Amino acid sequence: MNKKCAAVCIFVLVFLMLPMAYAMNGRDVFEKVQAVRNSKLDQKVDATMMLFDKGGGKRTRTLTMYGKDASPEAYKILIVFNSPADLKGVGFLLHAHTFADRDLWAYFPEYKRIRRIPATSQDDSFFGSDFSYDDLSGPPDLDDYSFKILREEEMIDNKPCYVIEVTPKKPRKYTKYITWVAKNLWIPTKVEYYRDKELYRSGTFKNIRVIDGIPTPFEMEMANFKTRHRTILTIQYINYNTKYPNDLFTQKTLERGAK
Amino acid sequence: MKKVLIIVCLLLVFASAGFAEDFFSTSGRLELRGVLPLQETDTEPEYPSLLGILKVDTTHPTWRFHMWLEGGWDGSVDLPVEDHGFIKGWDKVYQSITPFLDFKEIYGSYANDFLEFRAGIQRFSWGKLDEYPINDLLNPWDYSQFLIKSLENRKIGVPSLSARLNKDDWSAELAWVPILVPYRLPLWTERWSVYPGIITMTKDYNAEIINQEPDLENRSLEDSSVGLRIQNSGTVDWGITLFHGYDLHPVFKTSEGGIYYEDDKVIVYPGALPDFHKMSSFGMDAAFVRGDWSIRAEAAYAIGRYFNTKYELWGYPANPSLGTFELNPNMHKSDSIAYGIGVDYRLFEDCLLIMQAQQTMITDRPDTLYDRKYETILWAHLRNNFMNQKIETNLNMAWNPEHGDTMMKADLWYVFTDSWKTGIAAVSFDGPSQSLFGRYSQNDQVELDVVFSW
Repeated sequence: MNKKCAAVCIFVLVFLMLPMAYAMNGRDVFEKVQAVRNSKLDQKVDATMMLFDKGGGKRTRTLTMYGKDASPEAYKILIVFNSPADLKGVGFLLHAHTFADRDLWAYFPEYKRIRRIPATSQDDSFFGSDFSYDDLSGPPDLDDYSFKILREEEMIDNKPCYVIEVTPKKPRKYTKYITWVAKNLWIPTKVEYYRDKELYRSGTFKNIRVIDGIPTPFEMEMANFKTRHRTILTIQYINYNTKYPNDLFTQKTLERGAK
Repeated sequence: MKKVLIIVCLLLVFASAGFAEDFFSTSGRLELRGVLPLQETDTEPEYPSLLGILKVDTTHPTWRFHMWLEGGWDGSVDLPVEDHGFIKGWDKVYQSITPFLDFKEIYGSYANDFLEFRAGIQRFSWGKLDEYPINDLLNPWDYSQFLIKSLENRKIGVPSLSARLNKDDWSAELAWVPILVPYRLPLWTERWSVYPGIITMTKDYNAEIINQEPDLENRSLEDSSVGLRIQNSGTVDWGITLFHGYDLHPVFKTSEGGIYYEDDKVIVYPGALPDFHKMSSFGMDAAFVRGDWSIRAEAAYAIGRYFNTKYELWGYPANPSLGTFELNPNMHKSDSIAYGIGVDYRLFEDCLLIMQAQQTMITDRPDTLYDRKYETILWAHLRNNFMNQKIETNLNMAWNPEHGDTMMKADLWYVFTDSWKTGIAAVSFDGPSQSLFGRYSQNDQVELDVVFSW
């Protein structure tokens, strides 16, 4: 009886200690981040983008973003600017066949023409903001990066975070990213973008609320240290699980401003 | 005028479903513009312009109303010598822009998942190339201040019906323009007049030149134009276009001209009337991305186009005197093949290089034509933004190697706020007097703009 009791206790102890023995690596953390990102592919977002220049000047843009989980392909995104007048109707369409293979189009009402954008432009400024096309283009292909945990218990906004160095395997504008991933929420709360050793821009993700079980930052700020320009993207409205039809993500609706 | 108002009322009724949703938007733009010509010419003086644009859109998902109204006082020409309508119409080639009101677009549309139907005044945008898209044939152009205006600004909205069918990656669009809508030309006395030679001929007389209009009174449904476009989007976006209708390139038909002394002034009838001819065109276009390059191409075979002979063969008298003069026949009919390729290449962030090469081949060319058998245009456009798009600069260059004529345009815009911006632009032309760019070689200018938009 005593032997049996001891065996059961040892088994329970080993079972309980197993997770502790398994330490997460950087890739594991980003797999969880990716799972959260994938859970919010179906969405509609109304947002305000405020651009601040170093002299204090401010410009405001409003936009609507539609997203769709496009299984068996990866996802589709349509972004349309609602204001200011010069940008009204300007749109951006993305079809991600896989997380690594994307087709991009932009539409400019002034020219009434749709232009294809090379995927290699993904790190360029998104319509003058400090965000890049890539920042607003859905989840990346994790196989294109390597991950390394630098620290495990750093606090950002009173949230314990993994600090992870992310290095692109292919040449990109930024040679590495330092990302703070909130434990248990599995979303980045801060990202620093480096070119070689130089810090180029930094993004912070605040006012995190849980919508339909998905942690969502309602305020994203991207600051460029080179130009001393920064952009704040504030979500006004968000709805997940929208299940839009494929017809919304076509060149026709891009031309019609998603109408 | 009445017809336009009736159309507006009908479209508003159709769009009432959209208004019932209490969901429509307006936006607009006011532009104050001043031009400084860099060469002295005998053309009419120019004054600052004030132009306005008003756009109205409903956002009902099924029914939609859209209006793009443009108007103002364009000071690029003095008051016209004839009476002109305030609202630009579809029955005159020469129309005043001091002042003017122009419905660039006004249409109602119904759309569901598969079909979109539009009725009203529309501007279409078919094909892939910039500046001279080969398959974009449904809208005639306004040639006043030609080459200063963007392609979309040149297009004249046409009354039309269109239906677009969408299925997955495919779409088919059928467009019908029930009447002949003439292209518009600057008045003979304007700086942007296509054939300023007439001015030289008559300047010693201090003459008034009559802008002779073609007779468009008897237009019927037989004068309609129709176009069909089928597109597929994917890794390569491609399309085919069929068009049967009026050629948008202007040609003149010569007849009898004259110089007369009437009411204490000299009156000149140039004797060259704008002419219109139907043609058929079959075209293809494609766009795709390879690495850092965004590539697009177009080609079309056009049947039955008309071309003018060299200006000196028209038969204008070398030493004009009072009386009538007969002009020589000046037109030739031929098929043509046009093709072109354009590429976008991002040199660095916010700096885009756009290049385009296109060529037109006249299959049956006599020596009397000014156009060569092959006419080539090479374009380069460098667009650069600074300070997160607070400053935008554009440098455009174009070259026609057959005649050696060139155009250079440069502009710089500064965005003060979301509503205010200002810009300065300069343009220079060089080349023989009948070549595409050289005909404007007296039109070098600097332009200042202040824009308010809401």
